[in-house]
Amino acid sequence: MTTAPAPRRTTVGRTAARVRTTLRQPTVVLGAGTLLVLAVLVVAPLAGLVNTTLMDGNREAWTDVFASPMSENLLWRPMSNSVLLGTATAVGSTVIGGFLAWVVVMTRIPGRGVLGLLATIPFALPSFALALAWESVFRNDLIGGSTGILVNLGIGVPDWLAWGPVPIAATLTAHYFSLSFMLIAAALASVNGDLMEAAELTGASTLRVARDIALPVVAPAVVSGALLAFAEGVSNFVTPALLGLPVRFHTLSTRLYGAISTGDVSRGYVLSIVLILVAAMIMYASTRITGGRRSFATITGKGGRRRGIELGVWGRPVAAAAWVLVTFTTVVPGLVLVLSSLTRRTNDFASGLTLHYWIGDSDPALAQGQRGILNNPQILQATWNTVLLGVTVAVCAGVLGLLVSYVITRSNGPRWLPGTLGVVSFVPFLIPGIALGAAFIAQFGAPIGPLPSLYGTFAILVLAGVAATIPFSVRSGTSALSQVSRDVEESAVLAGAGLFRRIGAVIAPLTARGLFTGGVLVFVQMVRDLSLVVLLATPAMPVLAVLTYQYSSENFTQSANAVTVVIAVISVSATILARRFEGAAQPWNSNS
Amino acid sequence: MRFPGMLKASAVLTLTATLAACGGGAPEAPATDAASGPHELDGATHDELVELAVEEGTVTVYSFTSRIASVEAEFEAAYPGIDLIGHDISSSEQITRLLAEAQAGTPSADVAYISDAPVVITELVAGGILQNYVPQRVAETVPEEYREPLLANRLSTKILMYNEDAHPDGTPVENLWQLTEEEWNGRVVMVDPGVRGDYLDLVTEIVRRSDAMAEAHLDLFGSEVVLDDGVENAGQQFIKDLYANGLVLVDDTDNVNAAVGATGQDDPPVGFTSYSDRRDNEEEGWALQASLETAPSPGITFPAYIGMVNGSGSPAASRLVADFLMGDDSETGGAAFDPFYVPGDYPVRTDMTAPEGAVSLEELSAWDIDPEETAQIRDDVSDFLLTL
Repeated sequence: MTTAPAPRRTTVGRTAARVRTTLRQPTVVLGAGTLLVLAVLVVAPLAGLVNTTLMDGNREAWTDVFASPMSENLLWRPMSNSVLLGTATAVGSTVIGGFLAWVVVMTRIPGRGVLGLLATIPFALPSFALALAWESVFRNDLIGGSTGILVNLGIGVPDWLAWGPVPIAATLTAHYFSLSFMLIAAALASVNGDLMEAAELTGASTLRVARDIALPVVAPAVVSGALLAFAEGVSNFVTPALLGLPVRFHTLSTRLYGAISTGDVSRGYVLSIVLILVAAMIMYASTRITGGRRSFATITGKGGRRRGIELGVWGRPVAAAAWVLVTFTTVVPGLVLVLSSLTRRTNDFASGLTLHYWIGDSDPALAQGQRGILNNPQILQATWNTVLLGVTVAVCAGVLGLLVSYVITRSNGPRWLPGTLGVVSFVPFLIPGIALGAAFIAQFGAPIGPLPSLYGTFAILVLAGVAATIPFSVRSGTSALSQVSRDVEESAVLAGAGLFRRIGAVIAPLTARGLFTGGVLVFVQMVRDLSLVVLLATPAMPVLAVLTYQYSSENFTQSANAVTVVIAVISVSATILARRFEGAAQPWNSNS
Repeated sequence: MRFPGMLKASAVLTLTATLAACGGGAPEAPATDAASGPHELDGATHDELVELAVEEGTVTVYSFTSRIASVEAEFEAAYPGIDLIGHDISSSEQITRLLAEAQAGTPSADVAYISDAPVVITELVAGGILQNYVPQRVAETVPEEYREPLLANRLSTKILMYNEDAHPDGTPVENLWQLTEEEWNGRVVMVDPGVRGDYLDLVTEIVRRSDAMAEAHLDLFGSEVVLDDGVENAGQQFIKDLYANGLVLVDDTDNVNAAVGATGQDDPPVGFTSYSDRRDNEEEGWALQASLETAPSPGITFPAYIGMVNGSGSPAASRLVADFLMGDDSETGGAAFDPFYVPGDYPVRTDMTAPEGAVSLEELSAWDIDPEETAQIRDDVSDFLLTL
């Protein structure tokens, strides 16, 4: 910028030449293509949100939020609470998820296979199951009604432990550490065993190896996991509403949902734009901090086998810590969920157990004659729809995510391209699902030229699903890809393979583990997420999450919980299947 | 304890005017003309409607209650040639869906059975998305406020309830202002009106009835209400004092029911919830009872509306459904009305008797909300809450 300006004609000529060169690079073409797809799937709905807040009569929503007597309660305090929760969730998830990933992948602790499976489950459980598990232990007499185990034992529980930021951060962490765990475990599994052995031969301690060899290598996965956990932490509504409202602890998400549900949509959208900006800033800052560090290519084509780390005397305490963690985040909430679908009275574990809500026939005395869910043909139909939707979206988002992350990690075209793709592909996370769903109806509900209206079709569910889950697939794709050394690809180039051939034949198989992880995340997200599909799934095409919602809004809590158990079982089965599958796809990691 | 509402809230954050996310493009004008004149079938006789409806064959109903399933069975038994497809969809979701469908020009419902009156009237009826139809058969027996601008078939409540197990001699709260005193500090529970529309309607009504609130203050304390800075009337002052007195806000009605109703509590709280939830007392082990003698009023009643979706392909069958939902000519409304004949809910027809097991509407003396007036000040009340 400090050089003397060149004559104008030359600049134009040079720019034109640069454009020509750039266009010849396949990654640039690919980048432009994927950017176009993301523009339709992500930017357009977002523009719709912004546009709404700028329409006549809606504009004062901005001053209401930013400069009015309400701003304190509507924006500033909720915003700092959201950032606090997001940060706590990100840090907590990284520490716990990273620790468990290390235990499962790097050590020889007995039962680590089971540990690894259990650690992926909390993400598949609904957030309220964890919040409820917390309440069943810590609930005090602030609200009235029943109290938790501790109070019943005569142990006083202060409000700060029963309600507000501490329990919310704890339950959110318990819910989302799975994300970090899955991403970091996938990255750790690809750490080159030679490097670690070399370090150990030079006398480095286990800790030192972990810190100096493994940690830098998994850095991209750690960052990705932390960002996802942060975004989930700030956008989660259920947990803050359940555990925060009694002490009037509000976050941006509770304010946003409140504004929308009481009919003040434009204010809700302003808040969601704020939410998006806040998260985007955090994300930008974190990539600046970690961006200076070169990523470490660990899949070089020359990899060696790893052996597990011997923990010696530390074996037992480490194993105990790991088991305690998964017990309290997986086993206990899972049991709470199953038991609550069996209770005769809503969530009253002392009222006796019944299988009625699972297999019973219609009984007018219970739940207004609703049949047990396994006795209900609609559930079968919904289960099939749900699984099909999950798989389709996982595959589509996986392919798109791989292409996007390829551009992000490999592009040597214009600098702004990977950055833009990175941010754009992260944004859907922060758009409230229902707003995204409504945007899709508005966008694809009416016929576009020769294309028919997609309203009520499976296709619109898939499109919206891909848009909503692209952050997962891009993040997991990026962390997987940044480990693949360029020299592998260069050999393919020398052998004459084109871009798509390289992606299909070299990159995809090498990153299979990371991609599977992303695919499972997407699948689980689609299967359990309600807010996106609630508008898009027409009643003629039921999905399980919508049925849960219907049951619960009618206060058929047990039936709702039973369907939730079905959702959790599907999610967990998918996780198990995918692990088998990825084991087969990556024989060189079979010792992990 | 409960978590039904959690899903409810989390998931369906109940959008309303979602014309919004118009996909970046220019929002298309609603496919149908705004609140145009009466429909050509509004004057048709029952027999004419049946004939046309059989030709139409099917009719799709969005209902905010799952009881539509029973209605479906009864309707199809009464009109064998017509297939009623009932969908259980919450009011706030219906509003979002109806708006989005109208915008995309693809209406998929013919009838909406819906609450959330202030938003329905100002967004859907004023926007021409829902049209009114009053069957001539019931025009005489439905009071005007439930015929216009949209027909209602019953009223629901949000009122103060207490634990009759702990207070067998009747309500411990004779005047709402008692709730602002030390005795009830931290022991009043309600759903956060900043999160749920029906509770915002309740708070709005208290503000709207400021004169009655001022009078009740005088009765209880023998003095006029003193308004704080920035407080405009007695209703707002009550809300402010209630918040300052440790009002406990929760996320869901069931949370209120369990807190107030759970038996075996020494000193249970009181809370605002639905009178008809008393029917779950036995099943859930609650002792909920309506706080009837509370001055100036225990709470609000609000209507459940029946709207005709503009642009429907089954206008005749839709009108038959509306007629059916009003109940037959008997005192209880017969099999058609049976799913809605619940103690604590009130049929609007003057020739029907209220269900046994709950006091009469007069005795309840709840404030009946006026959807249009409520809609006018609702946003201001919501803003006021945000400054507390």
